[in-house]
Amino acid sequence: MPSEREFQIAPLVPESIQHNSKTLYNLQSLTASLFGVSAGILGLESYSGFLFYLVFSLLTTALLYVFRVAPGASLSSSSSASRQRKGVLDTSLYFRSPYEFWAGGLLGGLAGYILTWTLFYGLVRA
Amino acid sequence: MAADKGIVGDMVASMLWFSAYSYSCYSAQEHSALQSFRATTAALTSSTPTAASLPVDIVIETIVATLVISLGLVLGTRPLRPIQWNVWAGKLEREGPEGFLDSEGEVNKDYVGNPFRLLEARPGFVDIRKQRKEFAEWVKNGGQIQGN
Repeated sequence: MPSEREFQIAPLVPESIQHNSKTLYNLQSLTASLFGVSAGILGLESYSGFLFYLVFSLLTTALLYVFRVAPGASLSSSSSASRQRKGVLDTSLYFRSPYEFWAGGLLGGLAGYILTWTLFYGLVRA
Repeated sequence: MAADKGIVGDMVASMLWFSAYSYSCYSAQEHSALQSFRATTAALTSSTPTAASLPVDIVIETIVATLVISLGLVLGTRPLRPIQWNVWAGKLEREGPEGFLDSEGEVNKDYVGNPFRLLEARPGFVDIRKQRKEFAEWVKNGGQIQGN
Protein backbone atom coordinates (compact mmCIF):
# COMPACT_ATOMS: atom_id res chain seq x y z
CA MET A 1 0.00 0.00 0.00
CA PRO A 2 1.53 3.33 -1.01
CA SER A 3 2.07 5.86 1.73
CA GLU A 4 0.96 9.48 1.87
CA ARG A 5 4.44 10.56 0.87
CA GLU A 6 4.37 8.49 -2.30
CA PHE A 7 1.02 10.01 -3.25
CA GLN A 8 2.58 13.44 -2.80
CA ILE A 9 5.47 12.52 -5.08
CA ALA A 10 3.37 10.73 -7.72
CA PRO A 11 -0.17 12.11 -7.55
CA LEU A 12 -3.13 10.34 -9.10
CA VAL A 13 -5.94 11.78 -11.23
CA PRO A 14 -9.33 11.13 -9.55
CA GLU A 15 -11.29 11.70 -12.77
CA SER A 16 -9.31 9.03 -14.57
CA ILE A 17 -9.76 6.54 -11.73
CA GLN A 18 -13.49 7.19 -11.80
CA HIS A 19 -13.64 6.90 -15.59
CA ASN A 20 -11.75 3.61 -15.64
CA SER A 21 -13.72 1.96 -12.86
CA LYS A 22 -16.99 3.11 -14.44
CA THR A 23 -15.94 1.64 -17.78
CA LEU A 24 -15.01 -1.64 -16.12
CA TYR A 25 -18.23 -1.74 -14.09
CA ASN A 26 -20.42 -1.05 -17.13
CA LEU A 27 -18.75 -3.82 -19.08
CA GLN A 28 -19.00 -6.27 -16.18
CA SER A 29 -22.69 -5.70 -15.53
CA LEU A 30 -23.57 -5.87 -19.23
CA THR A 31 -21.67 -9.09 -19.85
CA ALA A 32 -22.88 -10.63 -16.57
CA SER A 33 -26.49 -10.49 -17.70
CA LEU A 34 -25.44 -11.83 -21.10
CA PHE A 35 -23.71 -14.78 -19.43
CA GLY A 36 -26.83 -15.37 -17.37
CA VAL A 37 -28.81 -15.74 -20.58
CA SER A 38 -26.25 -18.24 -21.89
CA ALA A 39 -26.26 -20.25 -18.69
CA GLY A 40 -30.05 -20.36 -18.80
CA ILE A 41 -30.03 -21.55 -22.40
CA LEU A 42 -27.46 -24.22 -21.59
CA GLY A 43 -29.53 -25.29 -18.60
CA LEU A 44 -26.71 -25.14 -16.09
CA GLU A 45 -27.48 -25.91 -12.46
CA SER A 46 -25.82 -25.11 -9.11
CA TYR A 47 -22.00 -25.15 -9.08
CA SER A 48 -21.53 -25.47 -12.83
CA GLY A 49 -23.50 -22.25 -13.31
CA PHE A 50 -21.30 -20.32 -10.93
CA LEU A 51 -18.20 -21.84 -12.48
CA PHE A 52 -19.50 -20.73 -15.90
CA TYR A 53 -19.88 -17.19 -14.60
CA LEU A 54 -16.41 -17.17 -13.08
CA VAL A 55 -14.73 -18.52 -16.22
CA PHE A 56 -16.53 -16.24 -18.64
CA SER A 57 -16.13 -13.06 -16.65
CA LEU A 58 -12.43 -13.73 -16.19
CA LEU A 59 -12.25 -14.31 -19.94
CA THR A 60 -13.97 -10.98 -20.59
CA THR A 61 -11.57 -9.22 -18.24
CA ALA A 62 -8.69 -10.85 -20.08
CA LEU A 63 -10.13 -9.57 -23.37
CA LEU A 64 -10.36 -6.10 -21.86
CA TYR A 65 -6.75 -6.43 -20.79
CA VAL A 66 -5.66 -7.46 -24.27
CA PHE A 67 -7.56 -4.75 -26.13
CA ARG A 68 -7.53 -1.81 -23.71
CA VAL A 69 -4.86 -2.18 -21.03
CA ALA A 70 -1.99 -3.85 -22.87
CA PRO A 71 -1.77 -1.30 -25.75
CA GLY A 72 -1.30 1.50 -23.22
CA ALA A 73 1.72 -0.17 -21.67
CA SER A 74 3.88 1.28 -24.42
CA LEU A 75 2.79 4.75 -23.32
CA SER A 76 5.06 4.86 -20.31
CA SER A 77 7.53 2.09 -21.03
CA SER A 78 9.77 4.46 -22.93
CA SER A 79 9.84 7.02 -20.17
CA SER A 80 10.30 4.93 -17.04
CA ALA A 81 12.65 2.07 -16.49
CA SER A 82 10.64 1.05 -13.43
CA ARG A 83 8.24 -0.78 -15.75
CA GLN A 84 10.88 -3.45 -16.14
CA ARG A 85 10.45 -4.80 -12.65
CA LYS A 86 6.67 -5.03 -12.96
CA GLY A 87 5.07 -8.22 -14.22
CA VAL A 88 3.65 -9.14 -17.59
CA LEU A 89 0.02 -8.61 -16.56
CA ASP A 90 0.58 -5.09 -15.31
CA THR A 91 -2.51 -2.92 -14.75
CA SER A 92 -0.90 -0.17 -12.69
CA LEU A 93 -1.20 2.34 -15.54
CA TYR A 94 -5.01 2.36 -15.38
CA PHE A 95 -5.96 0.81 -12.03
CA ARG A 96 -4.74 1.27 -8.50
CA SER A 97 -4.38 -2.43 -7.79
CA PRO A 98 -4.49 -5.59 -9.92
CA TYR A 99 -7.18 -6.94 -7.60
CA GLU A 100 -9.44 -4.04 -8.53
CA PHE A 101 -9.09 -4.89 -12.21
CA TRP A 102 -9.27 -8.68 -12.15
CA ALA A 103 -11.78 -9.34 -9.37
CA GLY A 104 -13.45 -6.00 -8.65
CA GLY A 105 -16.48 -6.52 -10.87
CA LEU A 106 -17.13 -10.17 -10.05
CA LEU A 107 -19.47 -9.59 -7.12
CA GLY A 108 -21.14 -6.59 -8.74
CA GLY A 109 -22.27 -8.58 -11.76
CA LEU A 110 -23.33 -11.65 -9.83
CA ALA A 111 -26.82 -10.40 -8.99
CA GLY A 112 -27.63 -9.58 -12.61
CA TYR A 113 -26.17 -12.92 -13.65
CA ILE A 114 -28.40 -14.90 -11.29
CA LEU A 115 -31.42 -12.86 -12.34
CA THR A 116 -31.09 -13.59 -16.05
CA TRP A 117 -29.84 -17.12 -15.40
CA THR A 118 -32.96 -18.12 -13.48
CA LEU A 119 -35.22 -16.19 -15.87
CA PHE A 120 -33.92 -17.89 -18.99
CA TYR A 121 -33.66 -21.29 -17.30
CA GLY A 122 -37.34 -20.99 -16.49
CA LEU A 123 -38.24 -19.70 -19.96
CA VAL A 124 -36.37 -22.43 -21.83
CA ARG A 125 -37.02 -25.40 -19.58
CA ALA A 126 -40.56 -24.71 -18.47
CA MET B 1 -12.29 7.02 -41.00
CA ALA B 2 -10.83 3.54 -40.71
CA ALA B 3 -11.64 3.52 -37.01
CA ASP B 4 -15.24 4.51 -37.72
CA LYS B 5 -15.59 1.69 -40.22
CA GLY B 6 -14.12 -0.73 -37.70
CA ILE B 7 -16.61 0.29 -35.04
CA VAL B 8 -19.54 0.01 -37.43
CA GLY B 9 -18.25 -3.39 -38.52
CA ASP B 10 -18.03 -4.48 -34.88
CA MET B 11 -21.59 -3.40 -34.29
CA VAL B 12 -22.87 -5.20 -37.38
CA ALA B 13 -20.97 -8.35 -36.41
CA SER B 14 -22.38 -8.15 -32.88
CA MET B 15 -25.89 -7.78 -34.30
CA LEU B 16 -25.40 -10.84 -36.52
CA TRP B 17 -24.06 -12.84 -33.62
CA PHE B 18 -26.90 -11.70 -31.45
CA SER B 19 -29.33 -13.16 -33.97
CA ALA B 20 -27.38 -16.45 -33.82
CA TYR B 21 -27.61 -16.21 -30.07
CA SER B 22 -31.36 -15.73 -30.01
CA TYR B 23 -31.67 -18.55 -32.54
CA SER B 24 -29.78 -20.89 -30.22
CA CYS B 25 -32.11 -19.81 -27.40
CA TYR B 26 -35.09 -20.67 -29.59
CA SER B 27 -33.57 -24.03 -30.55
CA ALA B 28 -32.95 -24.91 -26.91
CA GLN B 29 -36.52 -24.01 -26.04
CA GLU B 30 -37.90 -26.10 -28.89
CA HIS B 31 -35.65 -28.99 -27.95
CA SER B 32 -36.77 -28.99 -24.34
CA ALA B 33 -40.41 -28.75 -25.42
CA LEU B 34 -39.90 -31.74 -27.69
CA GLN B 35 -38.14 -33.63 -24.91
CA SER B 36 -40.92 -32.98 -22.45
CA PHE B 37 -43.46 -34.09 -25.05
CA ARG B 38 -41.49 -37.30 -25.58
CA ALA B 39 -41.18 -37.75 -21.84
CA THR B 40 -44.92 -37.53 -21.37
CA THR B 41 -45.54 -40.03 -24.15
CA ALA B 42 -42.82 -42.32 -22.82
CA ALA B 43 -44.14 -42.02 -19.27
CA LEU B 44 -47.11 -44.11 -20.35
CA THR B 45 -44.80 -47.07 -20.91
CA SER B 46 -41.75 -46.47 -18.65
CA SER B 47 -41.53 -44.56 -15.37
CA THR B 48 -37.95 -43.20 -15.73
CA PRO B 49 -37.91 -39.67 -17.27
CA THR B 50 -35.29 -39.08 -19.96
CA ALA B 51 -32.55 -36.61 -19.04
CA ALA B 52 -32.92 -33.60 -21.32
CA SER B 53 -29.35 -32.89 -22.36
CA LEU B 54 -28.88 -30.27 -25.04
CA PRO B 55 -27.56 -31.27 -28.47
CA VAL B 56 -23.93 -30.33 -28.95
CA ASP B 57 -24.55 -27.95 -31.87
CA ILE B 58 -26.81 -25.74 -29.75
CA VAL B 59 -24.20 -25.73 -26.98
CA ILE B 60 -21.43 -24.73 -29.39
CA GLU B 61 -23.58 -22.05 -31.01
CA THR B 62 -24.48 -20.56 -27.62
CA ILE B 63 -20.90 -20.48 -26.33
CA VAL B 64 -19.39 -19.09 -29.53
CA ALA B 65 -22.10 -16.42 -29.81
CA THR B 66 -21.55 -15.46 -26.16
CA LEU B 67 -17.82 -15.11 -26.70
CA VAL B 68 -18.19 -13.05 -29.87
CA ILE B 69 -20.80 -10.72 -28.34
CA SER B 70 -18.63 -10.15 -25.28
CA LEU B 71 -15.69 -9.45 -27.60
CA GLY B 72 -17.85 -6.86 -29.38
CA LEU B 73 -18.79 -5.30 -26.02
CA VAL B 74 -15.12 -5.15 -25.01
CA LEU B 75 -14.21 -3.46 -28.28
CA GLY B 76 -17.06 -1.00 -27.73
CA THR B 77 -15.78 0.22 -24.36
CA ARG B 78 -14.34 3.69 -24.07
CA PRO B 79 -10.54 3.85 -23.94
CA LEU B 80 -9.09 3.90 -20.44
CA ARG B 81 -7.15 6.86 -19.11
CA PRO B 82 -3.87 6.80 -17.22
CA ILE B 83 -4.37 7.40 -13.53
CA GLN B 84 -0.87 8.64 -12.69
CA TRP B 85 -0.71 12.38 -13.01
CA ASN B 86 2.61 12.50 -14.86
CA VAL B 87 1.59 9.88 -17.45
CA TRP B 88 -1.83 11.49 -17.90
CA ALA B 89 -0.50 15.02 -18.27
CA GLY B 90 2.18 13.80 -20.67
CA LYS B 91 -0.46 12.17 -22.84
CA LEU B 92 -2.47 15.39 -22.70
CA GLU B 93 0.53 17.48 -23.77
CA ARG B 94 1.50 15.14 -26.59
CA GLU B 95 -1.88 14.28 -28.07
CA GLY B 96 -4.26 17.05 -26.98
CA PRO B 97 -7.98 16.37 -27.35
CA GLU B 98 -7.26 13.62 -29.91
CA GLY B 99 -5.98 11.39 -27.12
CA PHE B 100 -9.32 11.45 -25.35
CA LEU B 101 -11.78 10.23 -27.97
CA ASP B 102 -14.61 7.93 -27.03
CA SER B 103 -15.73 4.93 -29.07
CA GLU B 104 -17.72 7.11 -31.49
CA GLY B 105 -14.62 9.10 -32.39
CA GLU B 106 -15.72 12.29 -30.67
CA VAL B 107 -13.98 14.08 -27.84
CA ASN B 108 -15.37 13.04 -24.48
CA LYS B 109 -17.76 15.41 -22.74
CA ASP B 110 -15.75 15.27 -19.54
CA TYR B 111 -12.49 16.12 -21.28
CA VAL B 112 -10.88 18.77 -19.10
CA GLY B 113 -7.93 19.81 -21.23
CA ASN B 114 -4.79 21.35 -19.87
CA PRO B 115 -4.91 21.21 -16.06
CA PHE B 116 -2.73 24.34 -15.85
CA ARG B 117 -4.69 26.50 -18.28
CA LEU B 118 -5.66 28.90 -15.48
CA LEU B 119 -2.01 29.56 -14.81
CA GLU B 120 -1.05 29.90 -18.46
CA ALA B 121 -3.75 32.44 -19.32
CA ARG B 122 -3.39 34.71 -16.32
CA PRO B 123 -5.09 38.09 -16.80
CA GLY B 124 -2.18 39.79 -15.05
CA PHE B 125 0.08 38.97 -17.99
CA VAL B 126 -2.15 40.59 -20.59
CA ASP B 127 -0.53 43.61 -22.27
CA ILE B 128 -3.46 45.99 -22.04
CA ARG B 129 -1.73 48.94 -23.74
CA LYS B 130 -0.91 46.83 -26.79
CA GLN B 131 -4.46 45.57 -26.95
CA ARG B 132 -5.77 49.14 -26.69
CA LYS B 133 -3.51 50.20 -29.57
CA GLU B 134 -4.75 47.28 -31.66
CA PHE B 135 -8.32 48.21 -30.85
CA ALA B 136 -7.70 51.80 -31.90
CA GLU B 137 -6.22 50.55 -35.19
CA TRP B 138 -9.23 48.34 -35.75
CA VAL B 139 -11.61 51.20 -35.07
CA LYS B 140 -9.69 53.44 -37.45
CA ASN B 141 -9.72 50.80 -40.21
CA GLY B 142 -13.33 49.97 -39.59
CA GLY B 143 -14.26 53.65 -39.83
CA GLN B 144 -12.38 53.90 -43.14
CA ILE B 145 -14.11 50.82 -44.48
CA GLN B 146 -17.47 52.16 -43.41
CA GLY B 147 -16.64 55.55 -44.88
CA ASN B 148 -15.81 53.95 -48.25
